[in-house]
Amino acid sequence: MASTSFRSRRIVVACGLVVAFVLVIVRLVNLQVMQSAELTVKADRQHQKNVTLEGARGTIYDRNSKVLAMNMDVPSVFGVPASLGNPGVTARNLSPILHVKATELEKKLKQEKHFVWLARKLEPEQGRRLERLALDGVGVVMEGRRFYPKGPLLSHVLGFAGMDDRGLEGVELRYEQYLRGEKRAVVLQRDALGRAVFPKGLNEEGAAAGHSLTLTVDEVIQYIAEKELDEAVSRSNAKSGTIIVMDPKTGAVLAMAVSPRFDPNTVGALAPDRWRNRALTDTYEPGSTMKAVIAAAALEEKVMTPGSMIYGENGQFSIANTVIHDHEKSGWITFAQMIQKSSNIGAAKVGMALGEWRVFDYLKEFGFGDKTGIDLPGEAVGLLRGPRQWGKRSLASISMGQEVGVTPLQMVTAVSAIANGGVLMKPFVVSEIRNAKGQLVAQTMPQAKRRVISSDTARTLTTLLEGVVTNGTGGKAAIPGFRVAGKTGTAQKVDPRTGAYSSTLLVGSFLGYVPAEDPRLAMIVVIDEPRGEGWGGVVAAPVFRRVGEQVLNYLGVAVDEPVKLAMAGLES
Amino acid sequence: MIDRVIDSRGLDSFDLRFMGLIAVILSVGVLSIYSVTHSQDSAFPFYLKQLVWILLGTIAFLVMYLSDYHKIARLAYPTYAVILIMLAVVLVMGKSSRGAQRWIPIGPFAFQPSEFAKLVLVLVLANYYSRVSRAGWLHRVVLPGLIVLPGLLLILKQPDLGSGLSFLAVYAAMLLMVGVRSKTLGVILLLSVMLFPFVWEMVWASLHDYQRERVMAFVDPDYDPGGKGYHALQSRIAIGSGELSGKGLYGGTQSQLKFLPEGHTDFVFAVYAEEWGFVGVLVLLALFIALIWVSLEIAARAKDTLGALLAAGIVAMLCFCVVVNIGMTAGMFPIVGIPLPLVSYGGSATIMTMASLGLLLNVKRRRLTLFY
Repeated sequence: MASTSFRSRRIVVACGLVVAFVLVIVRLVNLQVMQSAELTVKADRQHQKNVTLEGARGTIYDRNSKVLAMNMDVPSVFGVPASLGNPGVTARNLSPILHVKATELEKKLKQEKHFVWLARKLEPEQGRRLERLALDGVGVVMEGRRFYPKGPLLSHVLGFAGMDDRGLEGVELRYEQYLRGEKRAVVLQRDALGRAVFPKGLNEEGAAAGHSLTLTVDEVIQYIAEKELDEAVSRSNAKSGTIIVMDPKTGAVLAMAVSPRFDPNTVGALAPDRWRNRALTDTYEPGSTMKAVIAAAALEEKVMTPGSMIYGENGQFSIANTVIHDHEKSGWITFAQMIQKSSNIGAAKVGMALGEWRVFDYLKEFGFGDKTGIDLPGEAVGLLRGPRQWGKRSLASISMGQEVGVTPLQMVTAVSAIANGGVLMKPFVVSEIRNAKGQLVAQTMPQAKRRVISSDTARTLTTLLEGVVTNGTGGKAAIPGFRVAGKTGTAQKVDPRTGAYSSTLLVGSFLGYVPAEDPRLAMIVVIDEPRGEGWGGVVAAPVFRRVGEQVLNYLGVAVDEPVKLAMAGLES
Repeated sequence: MIDRVIDSRGLDSFDLRFMGLIAVILSVGVLSIYSVTHSQDSAFPFYLKQLVWILLGTIAFLVMYLSDYHKIARLAYPTYAVILIMLAVVLVMGKSSRGAQRWIPIGPFAFQPSEFAKLVLVLVLANYYSRVSRAGWLHRVVLPGLIVLPGLLLILKQPDLGSGLSFLAVYAAMLLMVGVRSKTLGVILLLSVMLFPFVWEMVWASLHDYQRERVMAFVDPDYDPGGKGYHALQSRIAIGSGELSGKGLYGGTQSQLKFLPEGHTDFVFAVYAEEWGFVGVLVLLALFIALIWVSLEIAARAKDTLGALLAAGIVAMLCFCVVVNIGMTAGMFPIVGIPLPLVSYGGSATIMTMASLGLLLNVKRRRLTLFY
């Protein structure tokens, strides 16, 4: 080996090395200095994800802090198409667990996306099975799902929240802004599988949960009302039914039952018809229950006293070329008897004695033709026309509860005013709002709208309404041991085919309160289109008794006048 | 056997610069491996395993350093035969991973004969050229080529393109060192070895996507399984987004969030570049250049042909691995499975590299012995 050639070879080798390293360094300058901004954007784009964190939706409690609606963490499953081996096999593995067709899943898994939802808010058991399978490219995350632990209980009042956790009906809708969890925009890091990796110091609890609500409703009273209503509706083969139980002194709703019911946990398959809270969205002609309000007006205006005599026309009374009939023919009767026997002719005459404007004014005063202002969505106004639009027969008709449309809620609110000594209260269902830390944010105080009658009038009318139960059409509403005041109602519905009052489509109702001397409950029972015997005294009054009996017992209300009232109950 | 080959003369040749550089580069490796795998839940994490490999590598280093390299060279042919058998065994009953069959399982670990084959090839060729001084095509090129061929074919069959290219690089470098009659040939060989990857990249750029995929799938099916350049792209993003000063230890989003696959093995340089930036990269390159400089010094001052050839072969192997690994990580070359010496995780590669460096230092020690 010549040393010169050996040296020259060494120089060549050294040059080669220098060239190689220089090229490498040039490339690194190119990447880390010249292209760095662009590549940093690329890196950020694939690992940063702008998301809105949302705290859990608030809980809804009944008045005794029993949970009615809550959030539950349930599994949702997603796919990462890029890291799947064989979409077909994965789809076939998932199909029986998710109850989704394999072809449909395969289509989703073949999308050119980084992340696809396969199924959301599943049952916990499905999540466990998925985790046991441990498929590549398939992940499970926990998401909050609205859960109603009591199923259909109070469903029409609670309403429900949709897949995206937005309230869609009932309290869930009305109090959306409180129930909704705090929203916070954050930049999350995600890894190559699309799993969120929370930046340091931040976890999902970072966004505060929504406010919780305490309702005025008592789940026990609600349960009693729903059970009895369901039984009554099915016994009479009725189309639907409503019961509202209210604290007459405050306007707080203790129960609001609507039949048929629905389960807000599985609302997806139901028609909107089933969600409707008929207690305040549907109007009906109240019929004779309205006589209680007419009587209040007559007593307050001193047009009548309990002993005033009214001629019953022997059951047939012609007015404006039509004839008003009474179920029970009568001659001269007292005002008190008119209430007890629910005489239509008597009511018409009382109305005529008051005159159009006073009848209208009192109905308006008692809240008809206006929303009650309850804190629930979808409330109907009802139908109350002004006297200028009335026909010749209208005064008589309205006095006996026809030509006027009311909601069950308006009715029970009105009777509560009689029960509490003459003050119309604003009904409400939410009593307290608390934030995630349990601090009181808002509290509903009972709100008096106005005095509608004097307490004397209220006391007198209560005596007359007690007579309905002890001596009149409402005998089946009697509760042994308690004084019950109430009024039956049987309204004919307008047959949609003929446009005239039907003799078979009826609404039977009972409106009352108990104990009469110091009312704890005001209640309305409405049975819509019962088959067979449709009289309010037959179809609704017994329901009032059964609910009232159980609720008074549950509330521990002391029995008064045990013997006398028990006897009265038996007589009728 | 060790007793017979150990020679205690010339221990003062122990080079602190050399040892220090190796230690620092190894530390960079362990730190990067720790950073990218520390979040994994494992009883025996990768960085601890790597420390075990470094310990075994240190033993290999000392054995190779303390032995007489002439005696080691005499064992070259039998060792080469053993390695060829092992490579054959790998093909028959080896452990597969990502489409390639390169490993012989030993308990919980896997032994990769192709890594050791590189060092053995250096020994074989150094031994051959130091004994056969006759010039001419046959003795300089063809015969040693026939020695290289069976190992090369067995490695390419696995397939392990990276080790195969290293084989060719070692052969070419040794050939250049001993010199061939035509200087032109030497220049061509040099250029083809040093510039091969760059030329490849130019040819590569002119190919259609599907052609590239076919080429890659043919040459090395285990990388880039989707054929979409995911791996190479993620690596480029990792290095580039490290910018000048880096994202800091554990701050590499590409590696920590698993966008960059193989972060602890072949792509450890991308992990390091993302976390330490261009500044860190310059430091690491400076360390490697310094190590190569010291190694070249040793090669240049070798007292005999065998020593010079051994040192040159080892330096060539080291340089090739460093340049090609960083090049492929930075997206200059197609991805071939070559680890970054002393930095990438891996038992066989770490032990082999440290044994090679031990042998290199041995050459420095021997140059002080005037009479053999």
